[in-house]
Amino acid sequence: MKTKFIILCFLGALFWAIPSHSFNFGNILKEVQKSTRPPEKTQPSKEEETKPKQSPAQSSGQSGGLIGLGNSLGIFDKKTSKILQQSVNTLKALQPIAYEEEKAIGGRLAVEVFNRYGGAYDDPELLRYVNLVGQTVADVSSRSDIDYHFAILNTEFPNAFATPGGYVFVSIGLLRMIENEAELAGILAHEVAHIARKHALQTLERSRSLQGVSSLTLTVIDKDPGLFDKLIDEVSNVLFTKGLDKKLEFEADKYGREFAYRTGYYPGALKRFIQKLGASKKNQGSIFSSTHPTSRERYSLLQKYSSRYKKASLYPTLGKRFKVALKRQN
Amino acid sequence: MRLLIYSFIFLFAGFSFTSQVAAETWYVKKSATKLQAKAKARSKVLGKLNKGTPVDVLRKSGKFYKVSAGGETGWIFRFKLTKNLPSGSGGDDDVLGALGGQQQIAARESAYGSSIRGLSPVSEEHAIKKGASPASIESVKEMERYKVDDEALDKFLEEGRLGAYAD
Repeated sequence: MKTKFIILCFLGALFWAIPSHSFNFGNILKEVQKSTRPPEKTQPSKEEETKPKQSPAQSSGQSGGLIGLGNSLGIFDKKTSKILQQSVNTLKALQPIAYEEEKAIGGRLAVEVFNRYGGAYDDPELLRYVNLVGQTVADVSSRSDIDYHFAILNTEFPNAFATPGGYVFVSIGLLRMIENEAELAGILAHEVAHIARKHALQTLERSRSLQGVSSLTLTVIDKDPGLFDKLIDEVSNVLFTKGLDKKLEFEADKYGREFAYRTGYYPGALKRFIQKLGASKKNQGSIFSSTHPTSRERYSLLQKYSSRYKKASLYPTLGKRFKVALKRQN
Repeated sequence: MRLLIYSFIFLFAGFSFTSQVAAETWYVKKSATKLQAKAKARSKVLGKLNKGTPVDVLRKSGKFYKVSAGGETGWIFRFKLTKNLPSGSGGDDDVLGALGGQQQIAARESAYGSSIRGLSPVSEEHAIKKGASPASIESVKEMERYKVDDEALDKFLEEGRLGAYAD
């Protein structure tokens, strides 16, 4: 009996000592991991990383050859070939825009934001606070390996913007509507999510301005300054007038809430602020309201996917710290 | 035979009660990521890892992952790690060098630190050409120069009980 016990102990000790990668229990391990994973597919998983969606028609490069062949064999007449070729060019795969080019586009748009929306608000202490909150949510985002920059705009209209490459803006008017740090974190995280998920770039990559361009590099931009003009006009129109696709806004809401939650903030704060914003007269007719889905739609969507944030009320809102940071404003 | 059955039960039970997982290689998302002695934000800092440093994840426990990096074992706040190699990192950084680099990280208060890239000349030229105000251009440059240093950020998180300091 004693021998059996010793053998059992030895086997047990051996098991514990063996590096775990020696065993692959497949599904059992997956179940262990699953227990800490968000249950909902539409949410970013805790380890998810930014994978910008593929440009359309990645395989269309072959089509030109086929059209040419069809033309030479007399299957298509010239007019049909031309139409087909134009369609192919529209769909021609654009290599994902690299970070350097993303920063060039985002930096130019950032100048435009200051130019259009009152310039920078001069309050170094408040700026420091906004940067601290912004950085905390950016650090747990799915794209924390780039630099994020946060600024306050000198306008009383409630506004918040993100431009590609890591530029995030919030207006002093919006800050004055906020009640606590968790709300601010939710708003900044929403903007960080636009950058992390490359929403503006996705829109641009589908743009007609890039028809026939297979790779947007600074060299290409240098050779064709008109192209950069077109790109900036197009993204400006989306960010400042038309607004991004509703789906992208909803995605930014969901990811934003998730990033704020990962940081440890009360995850219901963004939803609560959206509701407040919807009821505010200040927001009516603002650029913020015209470029975003209605507050009701956004609130409903966040409400629909709230179940995963159990014990949400235990998370802090940090209202006092926010009020201290903003107190000179009141 | 009975011994064999007991052995399997013992092995299986042992496995079920541990949160040890198959070692996977993950990467550090950002430079100056703390490798700590325990799965607690206030535990001793064993070293700081560079962005892109590969680590073997040995165990997952709540907000922290137990990892092995360059012969050192410790805990890292899970959101500081990624399964994919972060962009712009070399990926094969000298981990030992990174671990020894803790002293080199200067403690600075939030300030206008060194700019990473600055406003792209393409952006600036275009903005000037289109008549953007010099103040707007300067504001973007200021925005880029502004840097919150790691120590200030850590203190901010600790005071708010956020991030790794959250309950």
